[in-house]
Amino acid sequence: VRTPIDSIVAQRRSKNKSYRQSYRSCLGAASRLGHTPGWTARRLNTSRRTKSHNITEKVNPEDLALLVKTEWQLSYVTPLYQFRHTQLRSYSRQLSAFITAEKQQGLAVEVEGAQTSFRVSFSVVQGLGETDDDAETVLVQIHSKPVFAGKDEAQKLVWSGWLTCINGNPEYLHSLPKDFTCLPLFGSHGAENLTSLVKSWFQQTFDCCFGPLEINQTCLQWLAALWTNCHIESSIQHLKMIWTLPVEPPLQITYTVNPQNAWELWNSVRTPSLESREEEETARSIDIEEVTRFMQGLMSHFYRHFRLDLSAGRLSQVSSALGSAKFSGRVKMSNSRYILTTLSLLTECALLKMPI
Amino acid sequence: MGSMDNTVKRLLERLVRRIPSRMLKTTLDKWSRLTATQRQSIDYTESKWALTEKLLAICEENELTVKHIAELEMIYVIENPNLGMWHAFQLMDPQDDAHSVELTQFKEQFKSHLSELIRHVSIKIKKHTDEAVWIRIAWGDTFSRPNHLKPTYVVHYLQTPYVFLSSLTSKQKPLLSQALVLSTRYQAIKDANLSGRKLTAIRDLLMKQYLQVFPTKFPSPLAERNRVVSNLHIEKEQAGSAANRHQMACEAFGDGLLPQLQSAVYKLETKFRDHTNKTMTERDEPFRCVVKFASTNLLESLRHSASSGVASTPVTPLLSSVPLKGKNYFVITDNGPGPSSQMKPSQK
Repeated sequence: VRTPIDSIVAQRRSKNKSYRQSYRSCLGAASRLGHTPGWTARRLNTSRRTKSHNITEKVNPEDLALLVKTEWQLSYVTPLYQFRHTQLRSYSRQLSAFITAEKQQGLAVEVEGAQTSFRVSFSVVQGLGETDDDAETVLVQIHSKPVFAGKDEAQKLVWSGWLTCINGNPEYLHSLPKDFTCLPLFGSHGAENLTSLVKSWFQQTFDCCFGPLEINQTCLQWLAALWTNCHIESSIQHLKMIWTLPVEPPLQITYTVNPQNAWELWNSVRTPSLESREEEETARSIDIEEVTRFMQGLMSHFYRHFRLDLSAGRLSQVSSALGSAKFSGRVKMSNSRYILTTLSLLTECALLKMPI
Repeated sequence: MGSMDNTVKRLLERLVRRIPSRMLKTTLDKWSRLTATQRQSIDYTESKWALTEKLLAICEENELTVKHIAELEMIYVIENPNLGMWHAFQLMDPQDDAHSVELTQFKEQFKSHLSELIRHVSIKIKKHTDEAVWIRIAWGDTFSRPNHLKPTYVVHYLQTPYVFLSSLTSKQKPLLSQALVLSTRYQAIKDANLSGRKLTAIRDLLMKQYLQVFPTKFPSPLAERNRVVSNLHIEKEQAGSAANRHQMACEAFGDGLLPQLQSAVYKLETKFRDHTNKTMTERDEPFRCVVKFASTNLLESLRHSASSGVASTPVTPLLSSVPLKGKNYFVITDNGPGPSSQMKPSQK
C-alpha cells in the first residue's frame, strides 16, 4: 500500500485548511467569515428526530446480533484516504499478514502468539444507514485458531470492530476531496493489543488517525432522554444514571428511576407539538431544551430529598434496557430498533471530536 | 490420606489458601490442637500446598475431625471478620429477664433451640474479648450432614439487642431468628437495615461507639488539612461560611475517623415536587426511584460533601439518619420512613 503522493502529504501536514474544510466550519456561516474556527458552533445538533427503524429485515441478522449484544469501546477516526469498499478482500489479507507478522516479532506479547494464526475478514454491513451521503458501514472481525489445530476445530472470534457514519453532516461530507472516505465512528471489542494493531494498520494504510471518544455530559443526557422517549414503544425497564461527585473519597450516586415515572416526567417537559397530527409521536423532533428540562426535573427531585446538587458532579453513565453508555466511551445498543438513533448521535460526537 | 475425611481435607485446604501466609503462624499458634513439637515442625517458608500437606498429616496423626478445623476457621474469622457482607439485626420487645441473660445460659439455650428446629446442625460458640459472642453454624437437614464449607457466622453482644449475621440464606433465616429470639428472651427480631463489609464499622455505627463530636464553636482560623491559600481576600470572605459548613458537617456525621460504611440505599416513593413543573406536581401517585450512594468510606464522603458545599447545609435528615439511626437502607414515603421488616417467632 502506497502512501499518498508527497505534495498532498506536505499540504496536509502543514495544516493548510483551504484544501479540506474543517467540520466545524460547516456548522455555521459565522465561522466561515472569521479566521478562527467557530467555537460557538462546536456542539451537537440542538434538535434531532427519533425514529424507530425496523432494520431487522434490511441488515444481515448475524451482523445485527453482533452489534446488539456487544459493548463497544469508541474512538473517532479522521477521514480515510483512498479507502475502497471494493477492496475488502485485499484488506482482509493485508491485515491478517500484518497482525501475524507483528505477533511473530514479539511486539505484541501474548502467550499463544506463536501458536495461533489470525484470519481477518472485512465486510460491509448493508442496510445500516439512512442517507446516500453516508459511506457504508464496514465490519472487521478477527478469528483465531491454533496453527496445528485439526480441520474441525472451530475458529474463535477474538476481536471485532466497525467503522460507520450515520447521518453525517452532508455539507461536511460534500466538502471532502474525492479520495477521502468519512467513517468517523470506530467501535472495537476484544484484546487491547489487537485493537492497537488494527488501528496501526489503518493509520499506515489510509493515513488517518484515531483518538479516544469520550461520551460527554450533553451526549449522555441526550441518550437518557432519547431512550426514555422510546418507553411507549419498547419498555426501557428502568432509567439508571450514575454520577460521580468530586469529594474525598469520591462519592458515586446511582439514581434509578421507575420507567413509567421517567416517561411521565419526560412527557411533561415536552414543548407542545406544532406538527400536524399525522406525524407519529415518536418521529417528532426533540430539542435540547426539552432534554435539559428533563434532566433538571430529575436533579431537582433528587435535590429536594438530599439537598445535594448533582450538577456539581459528573454524569458518568446512563443505561436502560435499550442500552448503556459510559463517559469513558463504552456503549452498548441492546435494541436493534434504536441503533440508528444512537449511532447518529455518536457519529456527530465523533465528527466534533476530530482534531482537524 | 485415604482414611482422612474428604471434608476435613477440603476445609483445611480452603482455609490455608485463604489465610495470608504472614498470619498463618499466629492463627495456628492460637489453635490448641497441635502439640508444641508439631507447631515447631512447620516450616512457614514453604508453599501453601506443602503447608497444607504437612497440616493434613498432623491432623491425621492427632485424629482431628472437621469440627476441629471449623474451630481453626473460627479463630481466623474472629480476628479477620471482613469476609463478606454483614447484616445488622435488632431484637425487639425484651421479656422481663432479657437483660439478665448471661453467657452460659445463652449458649445452652441457643444450641438447644436450634438443634430442636433443625435435625443436623453443627454449632460452635465462642466468647471474644470485646463482649461479643461469636456463633458458627454449619447447616444440614433431615437427610444430610452439616455443610462446613458454607457456614453462617453470627455475632451477638450480650446485654444489647444487636445481632450481626453473615452468609445466611433465606431458608435458614427463620430458623436462626427463632433460635436467637428464644435464647435471648426477646419476642421478635427485625432487620436493622444496616449492612456493610466491615463488621467493626457497622457495629460502631449501630452501637454508637465511635466518637461523635458536637462542636458548638470552632476556634478560628479553621485548620483544614491540605489547605491551599489561593487568594487571601477570597479566603477571608469565605472563611465564615466555610466554618459554618464544616461545623454542620461534623454535627451530622461526626469528627475525626468515621466508621467505614460502603453504601446507603434509599427507596423513594414520594410525590414529585418541583414548582416549575405543574403537570408532575399535580399527580397523586408517587415518583418511584431508588438512589444508592457508594464510596470507600461513605460517611467521610458525605461529611466532605457537606463541608465543601456540594451538599447544602444543614444536612438533610435523610443523610444524617445514616449515622444517627445506624441504618443504611431506607424506604421513604410522604408519611415519613416506612416500617422496617419485622419477624415474630411462630406460635407453637
